[in-house]
Amino acid sequence: MNKTNGPRLRARRKARFTNDDLWGYVFIAAAMIIFCVFTLYPVINAIYTSFFNYKPFGSEFVGLKNYTDTLKYSKFNLFYKAAWNTLVYTVIVVPLSLLLSFTISVMILPFQKKVQSVFKAMYYLPGIASGVALSVVWLWLYDSSPDGLFNKFLGFFGVPTQNWLSSTKTSMLSLIIMALLSSHGTQIITYIAALLGIDNSYFEAAELDGATFFQKVRYIVWPLVKPTTLFLLVTGVIGSFQVFMNAYMMTGGGPDNSTTMIGLLIYNNAFEYAKYGLACAQAIILTIVIALMSVFQFKLMGVDVEY
Amino acid sequence: MATGLYSQHLHNKKVLYLRNTVITIVLVVFAAATLFPIVYMILSGFGPNVSTAGNMRTIFPSRWTLESFKAFFDFSPYSLRWIWNSLVVAAGTVLGNVLFASMAGYAFAKIRFKGSKVLFAMILVAMMIPYQVTQIPLYILMVQKFHMTNTYSAMILPSLCTAYNIFLCKQFFTGLPTPLIESAKIEGCSQFQIFIRIILPLSKTVLAVMAINTFLSSWNNFFWPFLVTNTPAMYTIQVGLKQFKFANETLFAPMMAGATISALPMFIMFFALQKYFMEGVTIGAVKG
Amino acid sequence: MKKILAIVLSAILVLGMFSACGSSAPAETQAPAQTPAPAETKADAPAETAAPAEPDTIVIMAPPVTGSYLENLKKWAADFNAMYPNLTVEIIETSWDEHNGKLSTMAQAGEAPDIAEISSGALGTYVEMGVAIDIAKYMEEGRLNDYDANALAYMSLEGTAYGLPLYLTIQSIGANKTLMEELGIDVQKIQNEGWTYEEFLDVIKTGTTDSRYGFVFANSGVTASDMLYMFGAGVGLSNTFTPELKYAFTSENMLILLKAIEEMTGSGYMPNFGVEAGQRMVMCQTGNAMIFGKAMPLFEANFKKNNAALEANDGTAVEGSQKMDYAFLPVPTMAGCAESCYGTVDGLIAMRNKDTTDEHLKNVLLFMDYICSGDRIAACMNDLYLDPVCQSGRDALVLEEGRDENNLATAGRCIAMVQAPPAGVTAEMTATAKQLMDEQIVPKFQLLLAGETTAQDVYDHICEAAYAAFGQDNCAQGMLG
Repeated sequence: MNKTNGPRLRARRKARFTNDDLWGYVFIAAAMIIFCVFTLYPVINAIYTSFFNYKPFGSEFVGLKNYTDTLKYSKFNLFYKAAWNTLVYTVIVVPLSLLLSFTISVMILPFQKKVQSVFKAMYYLPGIASGVALSVVWLWLYDSSPDGLFNKFLGFFGVPTQNWLSSTKTSMLSLIIMALLSSHGTQIITYIAALLGIDNSYFEAAELDGATFFQKVRYIVWPLVKPTTLFLLVTGVIGSFQVFMNAYMMTGGGPDNSTTMIGLLIYNNAFEYAKYGLACAQAIILTIVIALMSVFQFKLMGVDVEY
Repeated sequence: MATGLYSQHLHNKKVLYLRNTVITIVLVVFAAATLFPIVYMILSGFGPNVSTAGNMRTIFPSRWTLESFKAFFDFSPYSLRWIWNSLVVAAGTVLGNVLFASMAGYAFAKIRFKGSKVLFAMILVAMMIPYQVTQIPLYILMVQKFHMTNTYSAMILPSLCTAYNIFLCKQFFTGLPTPLIESAKIEGCSQFQIFIRIILPLSKTVLAVMAINTFLSSWNNFFWPFLVTNTPAMYTIQVGLKQFKFANETLFAPMMAGATISALPMFIMFFALQKYFMEGVTIGAVKG
Repeated sequence: MKKILAIVLSAILVLGMFSACGSSAPAETQAPAQTPAPAETKADAPAETAAPAEPDTIVIMAPPVTGSYLENLKKWAADFNAMYPNLTVEIIETSWDEHNGKLSTMAQAGEAPDIAEISSGALGTYVEMGVAIDIAKYMEEGRLNDYDANALAYMSLEGTAYGLPLYLTIQSIGANKTLMEELGIDVQKIQNEGWTYEEFLDVIKTGTTDSRYGFVFANSGVTASDMLYMFGAGVGLSNTFTPELKYAFTSENMLILLKAIEEMTGSGYMPNFGVEAGQRMVMCQTGNAMIFGKAMPLFEANFKKNNAALEANDGTAVEGSQKMDYAFLPVPTMAGCAESCYGTVDGLIAMRNKDTTDEHLKNVLLFMDYICSGDRIAACMNDLYLDPVCQSGRDALVLEEGRDENNLATAGRCIAMVQAPPAGVTAEMTATAKQLMDEQIVPKFQLLLAGETTAQDVYDHICEAAYAAFGQDNCAQGMLG
């Protein structure tokens, strides 16, 4: 098609832009409607409620009181302790978990398709286990008596029995180990899908240049899966910041609040103490923190790589 | 298929086998650790139908029997229906997400339209709000405004197209080469045709990943279905399994038997989607 | 074009499926087989209320209080409907662990069920929310007198009753009676007269051998507070607030209690690791513990069942367990305080949602009263090995054969010793106390149990936190009682 320069081209370009805009909106239409009704509306509602002392029949406007109550530093304000616990937990678990999944995904690659399937199944299926079964098993593993599985295991090496969940020294460690040993199935599947998309020609070219295995990983694989890594990192951080179910079931807050997470505080305020407005304020503060961290992650890794 | 990552030119067979064996051992050991709870769950389902006030301390049941499986089905006239309900809810959620999230993800990734950055940021931020505080307004919405208590819709709609999946799709589609799309545009394809003819075939993998992840999270979801259903007939399997726990006792083996049965559809789904996991995105189409 | 059509059609299909599925879901089930109330039929049963002939639906939400409670509830709902054909009852069944979360959400959304089961400790939360109802206004004349004042006090705040008690459960310690008697301990004397802390220590010392602990208490995780409450009853701390409405846990009694627990856990007669709730009874049954807590009269059933299983040798008995009889024991007293017992009440409260009218509330209370009294509650109490807390329940009580006389007597004695919370406690006070316990006291107490702090430190922390929360003037000082 011969394009002439000048006004006609510009007009066409402009037309195509508007056309694209329109298409863009059409494509996101369904998603946006669902999003607005079922996600955005509750969120705005929560923000609104955070300025109230919420009661089902007759909330009282309190302005910023919920926020100041949360942030006011006092020896008995658990917010800061919970924030610290959550931060420690996230910073350790998320990157380690990602690294683990990446390593396992890379390790599964060299095998035949059938063998790959077997491994993928083995890693994915633990995620199917019912939460009830999981909690029973983990409580048994971490049982502080000499019969607890971990204690028995340590006993072989002569290590004294640990008071896993009941001691401040080991409670956070227990939760972290639990997170790392649970199913990474979704992350592994995601990574493998990304890895399979890397064209072999890159590797062949690199081999010709005499690259070693680790060099290939570092200079070809890692950059090419950056979008996936970013995705898993951001969602991992979001998930980890909100985590509390594990902590709740295993320790209910832990000795001296050593495993109290922000998610637990929010849950308690919303459902146990009926301080829903306060819970909303805490949630908003948490969201701001997560958003800031995500911006940081995007800046760090967000440069899209295309060949 | 990226197998080129590993050196194909190992002349020494022994080294090849050694390398593969070491990797296998590491993988198996780690997998065993994560598989342990599910193995325990399955084995416990074969135990006797007694209520246990304490933890079951043994890996193997004291007595091997199928009576707990039977007890699971006898427990409630709806035991089987719970599984069906979970299936319907999960299938609906997966369908919605595969359809809508892929479209939205593609739009955010490749179509330049006004406001796309703002909208995407909004979606991301909404994902960061802890679910504890959105439960109550969502519940009010469902019950008071839509009067949808106890329906499939109530369980499916809130997750019909999640921010998580939109984000996932966007990241994957970003990795697709733009020249491919540009050349299609030059040939006069509309965005829609590009989506159907080029993008979708290339994205079988990500769609499969999204499908199975969404299915899994919908299947395992407890609290929301618990909130919006009031009658045993509409429970999903996770809600139903919790009924086995009473104030001072737990019917442990039947609960585990039920959990095992409920894991079966997942097994099936996983293996059914296997072949999609195998394909990668072939970019070779662009070269030359 | 065809593709667009295909996509649009499938989208419509998907959406259509939802609406179809929505409507095909069975309508909320009514109590078995009753037709929705026709308007005008008059009730044959004594209609003491001005029961309007208009059809009304009562929604009740309850977890399995006992194994058969929900089944029974359906039956009672049917009977009730037979008595008052215009009133139908809808039952929402919940699971034990998650009941509170769902109830709280529903209440805060303004969609609370009419009747819900709660434990008395949570009453303050619902009153604060503004959804609880003053039941005296809507109950029939004189019906409230059927209930024991003691139990009713648990379901009241500032003199207003918000619900009816289902049962008063006592928590104390239990023991392997067979073993204790073998060791020459006078179990009956302990059951009849109580014992002091020093005597208790002696007994558990006697019971401790290389393979057996004298005393085991399930205190890991969230159950740690049980130990405080239960032993607290023996040292004058039966309630969170004193009769003068001061916060009780800052008194010297608390320090004595903490020191005693410190001594117990450090003595070697108790395990030095946290014990899981599910393990305590099993440890006793396998002979690894002589006395265990927390225990309830109900456990007698478990022991009897296990003995029968051991005799029949059918493989259902606890592995490694021995035949033994169960004794229910009171907690020891400390520092010369009067003997007491810790009890909690679980009950039903009435709640309002946005559609509630006065007439409706009368009907609600009618049903609530029905299931909390008479032979309905008696059947429940038989399963729970507890005494009913209303006169009509006691009249209707038929105890199963074969209950241990001594345990029965002890349980009766303990129930009589339970001290209800003082009148005049406000919802705000209970809410603050609850938060204080969860966030400040229990975590520090868990540290004490793990041996990582001292009793004095914990006590100081409690005082500091309580002063900050209530103000120093509102906290008890010195010895109580």
